[in-house]
Amino acid sequence: MTKTLDLGLQLVDRQLLDSEDRRCGNVDDLALEGGPGERLEVVAILSGPGAWRRRAGLIGRFAAWIGGGRVVRIPWEEVANVSAHVKLRKRAEELGLGRGDDRLRPFIQKIPGAER
Amino acid sequence: MKIFQIALGILAAIGGFVDIGDLVFNVSAGATFGYQLLWVIVVGVVGIIVYSEMCGRVATVSGKAVFDAVRERLGFRTGLAALVSAQVVNLMTLTAEIGGVAICLQLLSGLPYRWLIVIAGIVLAVIVWTTSFDWIERIFGYGGLCLLVFAVAAVKLHPAWGAVGHGFVPHVPTQSPLLYAYFAIGLLGAAMTPYEVYFYSSGAIEEQWGPKDLGLNKANAMIGYGLGGFLSFALMIVGGALFLGKGIEPEFLGSIALGAEVPLGQIGLLLALVGIVFAVGGAAIDTLFSGAYNLAQFLGWEWGRYRSNSGAPRFTVTWLVLLVLGLGLVMTGVDPVQLTEYAVIFSAVALPLTYIPILLVANDRSYMREYVNGRLANVLGLFYLVVIVIVALTAVPLLILTNAGQN
Repeated sequence: MTKTLDLGLQLVDRQLLDSEDRRCGNVDDLALEGGPGERLEVVAILSGPGAWRRRAGLIGRFAAWIGGGRVVRIPWEEVANVSAHVKLRKRAEELGLGRGDDRLRPFIQKIPGAER
Repeated sequence: MKIFQIALGILAAIGGFVDIGDLVFNVSAGATFGYQLLWVIVVGVVGIIVYSEMCGRVATVSGKAVFDAVRERLGFRTGLAALVSAQVVNLMTLTAEIGGVAICLQLLSGLPYRWLIVIAGIVLAVIVWTTSFDWIERIFGYGGLCLLVFAVAAVKLHPAWGAVGHGFVPHVPTQSPLLYAYFAIGLLGAAMTPYEVYFYSSGAIEEQWGPKDLGLNKANAMIGYGLGGFLSFALMIVGGALFLGKGIEPEFLGSIALGAEVPLGQIGLLLALVGIVFAVGGAAIDTLFSGAYNLAQFLGWEWGRYRSNSGAPRFTVTWLVLLVLGLGLVMTGVDPVQLTEYAVIFSAVALPLTYIPILLVANDRSYMREYVNGRLANVLGLFYLVVIVIVALTAVPLLILTNAGQN
């Protein structure tokens, strides 16, 4: 990917889609690398309630606590492209994303008509 | 033109535009000021058409519904504030709509109110659990068309048409301007209630519209909300012709239905009550889904009724929980009509946080490409942003000054 991105506007807070277009979280934060004088590089996307701690002070910490505080680190190599959404190369399960939905699913499936 | 594909617009109009808030505000405005506030409905209808078309276009082109845009443009912190305020107002509205359904069922059946709340809740849950999005739209949208009886009633009541025409000319009366302003704000708030755009934009994705459907989006917004506006005119005219100057404040849903009974008899009453049940029931589903859409979109969860119930588990659990909360709140015995008035006024305060991100995103060429806002959409969008900010700033002061329209 060579096109220019405004990280704050065009990457952070966007929807993550896995390789099968399943919605599996948001870009909650970024991991950047590069010392003084060096090129700054995005090395990973951080997704999950734990990343909210640094984004909204006390309320962010409270929200992170309610959400369970987990953060998933998605290496930048796993990003297929960035457009209106951030598309990933692998399935959500392989990246550790969308776990909340996967955990709830068996309970929902016990109710008749769950596949409708 | 695919005329049969305007079900989303019809439901957005019947269940979104003409919900319990509009029924109450339109008829009360008619009872208090006659036809003098008809022009405010026009302002509100054009506003909701402009923003629905815009957010429908954004959803169709980019796959982003309103709270995706809110999160993206307002960030986590401000977005969270928008989410919390939207959810509070949504739950208030949901509660009022469920209560409204129960009241109408009570008038139709004579069974005890609390039993009917439970029945209404179970019926809503079963319908949403088992029925596809398309059929939900059709059942409630087309069922709500019974409300057209109010248009017949309005004509049969022989209003002074000259005065009706004068009502479409914007003006401020010399008598009780504060109360007039309160009703104007309420009518605008009821016409542009944020959950209408949450539901409409997510509905465009539920319908899996693509860029080729943009004409359909425009038609849905214009025909749907146009119809909603037409029904609002009818309700206000009925309110004015029947209740003005008689000291009757139509604060019960039953007295609104009476507006159809007086000129049309039993059949009018029946059609009005059935229409209200479907419209308010549709609004209950709109708000229920809106609450679940908003939360899921803000947090990046899978969502939508186009997935199966188990295909979007957290979305499914969210609407189930909201329904239980709403039912619990109605059970406390809170008056749905009064709750509606507060919900409309508080939703007016939340308006800018919903509409500003839509306007910004609709102008983003990086993913809207050739479908970005044209000049007309931007001029109207900015004009309504000013209107919305004025509404948001004056809503609560007017609520207090007029004692919620009681003086």
